[in-house]
Amino acid sequence: MDLLSPQAGTMFWTALTFLLLLFVLGKLAWKPLVSALNEREKRIRESLEKAEEAQRQAEKNIAEYQAMLEKARAESQEIIERSRKTAETMREEIIENAKKEADRLLERAKKEIALEREKAVDEIKKLAVDLSLLATRKAIGKALTPKDHEALVQEALKEIGDSN
Amino acid sequence: MVLNAALTWIQQHQTTHGEEAAAAAAAHGAEQNTGEFILHHITDQPLIHLPTVWGIDLSITKHVLMMWISAVFMILLFSTLFGKAKLVPRGLANMFEAIIVFLREDVVKPYLGHDAPRFEPYLYTVFFFVLFNNLMGLIPGGASATGDISVTAALAILTFVIGLLAGMKEHGIFGFFKGLIPPGLPVVLVPLLFIVEVMGLITKHFALAIRLFANMTAGHVVILALISLIFLFKSYLIALLPLVGAVGIGLLEVLVAMIQAYIFTMLSAVFIGAAVHQEH
Repeated sequence: MDLLSPQAGTMFWTALTFLLLLFVLGKLAWKPLVSALNEREKRIRESLEKAEEAQRQAEKNIAEYQAMLEKARAESQEIIERSRKTAETMREEIIENAKKEADRLLERAKKEIALEREKAVDEIKKLAVDLSLLATRKAIGKALTPKDHEALVQEALKEIGDSN
Repeated sequence: MVLNAALTWIQQHQTTHGEEAAAAAAAHGAEQNTGEFILHHITDQPLIHLPTVWGIDLSITKHVLMMWISAVFMILLFSTLFGKAKLVPRGLANMFEAIIVFLREDVVKPYLGHDAPRFEPYLYTVFFFVLFNNLMGLIPGGASATGDISVTAALAILTFVIGLLAGMKEHGIFGFFKGLIPPGLPVVLVPLLFIVEVMGLITKHFALAIRLFANMTAGHVVILALISLIFLFKSYLIALLPLVGAVGIGLLEVLVAMIQAYIFTMLSAVFIGAAVHQEH
């Protein structure tokens, strides 16, 4: 057989074999394979889209949380500031009240002391009069006239008043 | 096997030459026999003689047998690998799928666009048919059916017919031939260019057949020639050189087998694509 001249028989068998092969492989191999490839392509595309969506969502969430965090921090700062001020005013108030109370107590104590002292002085004066009367009576031996009494008392009072 | 065949072939022919002229014609005879031996190996041989129908000799030849073996192998291989194609392929299925995905993304889709799904079964089948038949020639005892002009011509005609039919379906019979001629051409030039374009259409498919045939045949001729050198020189020392050369060419042949299968598929896609999308 010549190398360069095509043989009709071989060409016929080639075409027949090839077309049969194409038919059989098309049914048994390429069809399921191509559908699997398309399915995989679809899956991958969907997964990528899903991942992108998830990332976008996550970024949005992070931004939200950050904003919330920032807000919470500002709020807490404000609360601390406010409570510090409240505490400050309360402290001052308490100190003020305590001072007033102390002053009031002191004042009352002073008044009481003064009153007691007056009372004591009066008592001492009375006691001095009585004592001097007793002493005079003992010394003179008899009771003086009310007139003498009066004169003596006045004298004595004068003396006490001077010495006082 | 090839070596034994060569040896018996050469011995037979030398004994038939006769004793008297043996010494004188030894060198010349060996050369002639070598040529015959190579030609015998790369040409087709009928194995089963069948009757001739309408002038077509339907005998089953060596190349037809090789084609059938590779076809059966392909059906068994691909139906088991892809019959239940999984979402995540493993092993051998993964390997072949990688090849197909490469063809799909780099050959079928770029040249055929949205028409790809219609033609991809043809292109995948053509690729593996050519590839396995190319590789059959490298198996001892095998032969490359794609090293036969009849086989490559039949395949090229199939690509031609598919392109023609798809193009005519897309643009109509008249529209297809009208689309061959670039628009805005002077009327005088139209008949001339029409002839040129139709010839170009036939020529590129003719070249498609010749390219594959010549590439496969050339490799086999070189390997057979190198092996024949051993029997021409009849020296163990010199035998080493052709042997190394034959192994090297054999490795190159593996590469060529794959490249030619790829080129045939790619050009088929290009030609079909050009017929379907005529807008230049």
